[in-house]
Amino acid sequence: MELLVNGKSYEVDVDEETTLLAVLRHDLGLTGTKYGCGDGDCGACTVLIDGEAKNSCITPLDSAVGCEITTIEGLAKGGDLHPVQEAFVEHTAFQCAFCTPGFIMSTVALLSRNPQPDDRQIRAALTGNICRCGTYVRILQAAKAAAERLAQKGGE
Amino acid sequence: MTTISELHEDAALVVTGPPQWAGELELREAPGPEATLLMMDRQGGAIAFSGKVEYGQGIRSGFSLAIADELDLPLDSVRLILGDTDLVPWDRGTVGSVSTMTVGIQLRRAAATARGALVTLAAEHWAVDEASLATSEGHVFISGEPSRRVSYAELLQGKDLRLPIPEDTTTKRAEDFVFMGKDAPRTDALDRVTGQAKYSQDIVVDGMLHGKVLRAPSYGARPQQIDTAGAERVPGFVMLVRDGDFVGVVCEREDAAEQAVDAIRVRWQEEQNLPSDSDFPAALKEKAKEMIVLREEGSPAEGFAQADHVLEGSYFVPHVANVPMETSTAVASWDGGNLTVWSGDRAPFVVRDELAQALDMSQDQIRVIAPEVGGSFGTKGTVGVAQEAAVLAKAAGRPVRVAHSRSEEFMWGTVRPAALFEIRSGFNADGQIVAWEYTAYHTGDRPQRGQRGADTPYNTPNVRISVADSASPLRTGSYRSLGCAANHFAREIHIDEIAATLNMDPVELRLMNLTHPRLSRVLRQTADRFDWESRRNDSSVGIGVAIGYDAGSFVAECVEVAVRRRNLRVQRVVAGIDCGLVVNPEGVRNQMEGSIVMGMGTALREIVEFDSGRLLNPALSRYRVPRINDTPEIEIVMSGDSTTPSTGAGEPGIVPIAAAIGNAVYAATKTRIRDLPIVPRLG
Repeated sequence: MELLVNGKSYEVDVDEETTLLAVLRHDLGLTGTKYGCGDGDCGACTVLIDGEAKNSCITPLDSAVGCEITTIEGLAKGGDLHPVQEAFVEHTAFQCAFCTPGFIMSTVALLSRNPQPDDRQIRAALTGNICRCGTYVRILQAAKAAAERLAQKGGE
Repeated sequence: MTTISELHEDAALVVTGPPQWAGELELREAPGPEATLLMMDRQGGAIAFSGKVEYGQGIRSGFSLAIADELDLPLDSVRLILGDTDLVPWDRGTVGSVSTMTVGIQLRRAAATARGALVTLAAEHWAVDEASLATSEGHVFISGEPSRRVSYAELLQGKDLRLPIPEDTTTKRAEDFVFMGKDAPRTDALDRVTGQAKYSQDIVVDGMLHGKVLRAPSYGARPQQIDTAGAERVPGFVMLVRDGDFVGVVCEREDAAEQAVDAIRVRWQEEQNLPSDSDFPAALKEKAKEMIVLREEGSPAEGFAQADHVLEGSYFVPHVANVPMETSTAVASWDGGNLTVWSGDRAPFVVRDELAQALDMSQDQIRVIAPEVGGSFGTKGTVGVAQEAAVLAKAAGRPVRVAHSRSEEFMWGTVRPAALFEIRSGFNADGQIVAWEYTAYHTGDRPQRGQRGADTPYNTPNVRISVADSASPLRTGSYRSLGCAANHFAREIHIDEIAATLNMDPVELRLMNLTHPRLSRVLRQTADRFDWESRRNDSSVGIGVAIGYDAGSFVAECVEVAVRRRNLRVQRVVAGIDCGLVVNPEGVRNQMEGSIVMGMGTALREIVEFDSGRLLNPALSRYRVPRINDTPEIEIVMSGDSTTPSTGAGEPGIVPIAAAIGNAVYAATKTRIRDLPIVPRLG
């Protein structure tokens, strides 16, 4: 099967029911996407499928074939961090950071469909992601800061 | 893999010292030889070594700031090597919020030693007095003449210095800090937001296979009949390893290993008569072991006889799960008789020693490396997956990775002990507490873990504090502020009941009974910032307060809740901490916020449900941890001063939060919360 990940095409030879998460981590070596629960309960495995945030641990590979998949490794462009990544650094919106790739991908998806979300919309968009270190206050701040950053960039 | 001798070859200057650890917050020297604490290479950069691991607390950053400050180096010239048993000083594990106060201090002294040596070299270089020299950004210069300077790299050319830390080493005063005491971003931030940070789950070794272990459906269950034919038919199956009750499969892929282990047919013999969660709290008293009196002063009997009021209450906290986001994972690789294990564990030396014992090897044949650890909160301190991976790798003759699934982590990781408390207090009409009898029962895997935080910080003349261990059907282990957070929940709810009995302000009642100046100060400052006085008059919400102590630090928290039947929202938290000298305020705030959110989980909804040795809710959809839409506004107040030595910041924040929320719920609803979790008990 052919898979398009971070703008690159990969040929993978696995059972079609294999999860997208397993393929990303095992076959493509993209370990930035994390296993947290395998049930779609925690969001650690969030990737973008055609721009939408999805739990890759419950996404069968064949359902992602033909789509553009973006993982945390594909966000920074030419060495420049994505504004959401910058905002997470600036607000130290992590501790152990195991959940961070998932939160960043969910935030990127939110801002692409709603560039100016309010507090409630951010919470709603990120409630499928768990940060057990409890850095939610900072994640909220980072999401807001990223929205502002993107708005400024768009206006430039 | 780097070896310590390779590092030594590159080093121009090495500072050695004994490994250190804290027992009961007292600094002790650890067993074992002098270890390399810090080295400088010929380019003038520093590498520091510590057996602590980075599991989110930001210790790599904290140590880096401290070393950069003491050595007057740019921050990016400092590198940390953590948690690798072949490279770092012995360490008992990253526990008890003591890294900054023990290893942090020792690394500062090591860095100061190196700086002293560089100044001596510069004094020889210019033939001047050392007192006329100063250091800044990797250079020594002549005081008042910053242009007359020489770089550390230049001074270290051709040098091969080995220095123990001298007794009289002095570290910098707070007013001279360049990095410490100021907000600093994490030095490891970039790898964490780009997916490059390598956790144990991400370790890939050449030729690595994947193992899965057959797990019992309930604690104590033993396999009677095992049919493994189905496993062997799974594509990618490599081998099956069986040793007594231990059954593991090894496959080419992790998903194949899961399928293979699921395909094993087993008839289990399960233990009978194991308790269920509904047997608690009664089981805590029934299964109690020896009662230990921690403190007895005055005469509680006389105190109760003379008191205007006597109040009794009993309180309960259930078993709760640590739920680190990264499940326990290890990769084991054999090279002849030597074993290397990458294990996402908080205590790599403990894992090494337990592996040596279990596999009948000597410690120096085993290297344990803790990569980035995706959360611990007290769990991940056992040999579990590391040993399983080692056994499977030996059988397979290739490296093997074993990772817990989420349900395995719930069942075969560890949980926070349950506890029951019986408190009897005697107090006068003016609010003075004159008698205090406190009896606690904590389940636990090791004795006396419930003693932490059991003693009352209030000044009461007649006191008896007793704690007993009790048995649990679950695998109990450590947890953030183990025992201490539970003890504080009971005590601080009871204190609120005393205030309510007397119709007194709960802040005022606490202050009246406190004589500890740091605790009183943090309570006053927190209540002020919360605007306690005026928030009391807002009848649309409930406000609550609680205080506490842990890891040498003092904390106070005020919370505001809104309650409508079973809909309980924590809206605002103001938390004060006095942890002495703050190395990185941003780090302390982050830890406090995290502790509060985690403690909110234990207060509101978390409970491990079990029946006859089986877990009933081993999934994140059924075990409800805090999520972003539960998050209140949180403000942190720093109440310590920089002349007091640093104490813990990673745990104290969780200590008062459950009681503060319970007390706020009482203020809002007049329903007194004595048992956790709260939400199922509302409406």
